[in-house]
Amino acid sequence: MATTKATFSITSDILSYGTSITAEMEMKKAGTNVGLEETTGLSARTFSGNTTQVDLVTVANESVTAGGANKVYIRNTGSDKAEHFKITLADTTDDTEEIGRLYGGDWMLIPWEATDANEDIMVQPSTTEKMTLEFMVFHE
Amino acid sequence: MATTTATLNLTSDDLLSGPLSITATTTCMKAGTTTGLDKVEMGRGKLTVADGSKSLKLATAGGHDGATKVYLCNKATDPTYYIDVDIHDTNVGKLYAGDWLFLPWSQTDTAAELVIEAEGGSCEYEWAIFKEDETLVAAS
Repeated sequence: MATTKATFSITSDILSYGTSITAEMEMKKAGTNVGLEETTGLSARTFSGNTTQVDLVTVANESVTAGGANKVYIRNTGSDKAEHFKITLADTTDDTEEIGRLYGGDWMLIPWEATDANEDIMVQPSTTEKMTLEFMVFHE
Repeated sequence: MATTTATLNLTSDDLLSGPLSITATTTCMKAGTTTGLDKVEMGRGKLTVADGSKSLKLATAGGHDGATKVYLCNKATDPTYYIDVDIHDTNVGKLYAGDWLFLPWSQTDTAAELVIEAEGGSCEYEWAIFKEDETLVAAS
């Protein structure tokens, strides 16, 4: 059984007394104490020349367990806070639901239902300039 | 200007043949700017299965296309208990006991609320939302 840990921390001085949150999770298979054992590996994808929305992670192309405890990590490796990637999930009616936007340096880690092709993860760069995402899927 | 910094450490010694170590850090800025987010909301709650789907946070016009960041953690300890997380009518994934997520949230329209639902058993949860300032609504 593999042991994969994800540790999150966030600090902020928005409030006068400061805010600090730390959380650690060990990625496990759905409903068990058995660690996730598979991954796509860390990948990078560079976009340039257009702002077309494309599939980043496609359910049909990955050996993920539908409805499992899959996790997806995505990071905009750029440093330009003016540019972003729009991150979107398809929904059951085949249109899309935008999750959010990753600006330069921003990252996200989410559970991924991956039930069917309507839950592909799609991305769209905000500019035709060269931009790169790195991403990794942890799955059952 | 407030400074909010979110850091992720992903590690595993045995998921791959060699050690895995990824660190990602971002300073959370307002959309398209280098000005820090300046509003935070956080809390803790408990969801029962009987509660059904609940809105963790309603999308607001003020948050539309902003750079809001959401942290949510399932504090349950029974591995069979999970929180289903949706944006509007799209299922993002399941947060099993101890799992957390950190995602950007665009609030593309006022229907794009964050929805949570406990399955398997009651789940305590913690959440925090870091966002851009909003104009307060008029008093009724």
